[in-house]
Amino acid sequence: MADRDYLGEFEHIIVLALLRLEERAYGVTVRQEIELRTKREVSIGAVYATLDRLEKKGYVKSHRGDPTPERGGRSKRFFRVTAKGVTAVNRTQRALQSMTEGLGLIQRYT
Amino acid sequence: MTPQPFALQPPRLAVWLVDLFTLPDDAEQIMGDLLEEFSQLASKSGVVFAQRWYWRQAVKTIAYLVPTAFNVAPWSTTAGVVGGFLTRRLLGRLVEPAIFAVLERYHVYQYHFKIYMFFASTGIDIGHLITFLFVGCVVALLAKRREMVPAIGLGLIFAAMAVVGSLAVVARTGDYTSLWRLTWYFADSFAILIGGAIVRTRRSAATTLPSDA
Repeated sequence: MADRDYLGEFEHIIVLALLRLEERAYGVTVRQEIELRTKREVSIGAVYATLDRLEKKGYVKSHRGDPTPERGGRSKRFFRVTAKGVTAVNRTQRALQSMTEGLGLIQRYT
Repeated sequence: MTPQPFALQPPRLAVWLVDLFTLPDDAEQIMGDLLEEFSQLASKSGVVFAQRWYWRQAVKTIAYLVPTAFNVAPWSTTAGVVGGFLTRRLLGRLVEPAIFAVLERYHVYQYHFKIYMFFASTGIDIGHLITFLFVGCVVALLAKRREMVPAIGLGLIFAAMAVVGSLAVVARTGDYTSLWRLTWYFADSFAILIGGAIVRTRRSAATTLPSDA
């Protein structure tokens, strides 16, 4: 059943941000990308909690970069979407499209 | 670690609070990300703006991480809260007899009446405060890596019990002056959090010191 799971709203947004950022995806860039595109302030805690959950589900993978001085000598944790993650985002996207098809939401409610 | 210039340091209290509530696995990345963005904002929009941003991020991050940490390990956290509650019930009964035993042992009533009166009133409150602090430490010691979560849970339970109990007393007696006792009860809940924070801070120091050396 887990392989037929849909992504939650914030999970969906995070995976799309990772896909956009490609190899530049780590906490700061993911947070800023989401803020830039959704115009909502997101906490770094929410980003990491969601990324940890996605990693446990096997939708993303992470690796540590080198420590940098502007981060007080701390390393970055880079994320990338796995094949399973791409399948999940496509499945979610198709489900949303199918649910909104024919509703004309943008014309009706904006 | 490379020290940052003084003007570009994020608010120390906010840094400490984030560190307190972050899981050790995520701490390095979260603290590093916050510092990196803080430095970017400080040079772009000013230190005051960056400090406000840091505080907002700290509060939101803590608000998000606490329930998340509970969801990750609900049973062990609940067991810690229940264990802490029962420990406090057990210890709470011993505070008054212990204080009076000491006062009688040293004949404080005969020789130092003012001291006797202090320990017989405020001393008992302080004794309870110390037991809450101890319980906070015990609960945090048992909850590995999530020290603050059961401490917060237990603190909230005692605070809620104090509010309900005090309101019940006011409703029954109509005596609003009894509400001042709430300050002591809230201090008790706060002592649990302090206990948790002490354990967490000591553990963090123990794990980071060897690598820094």
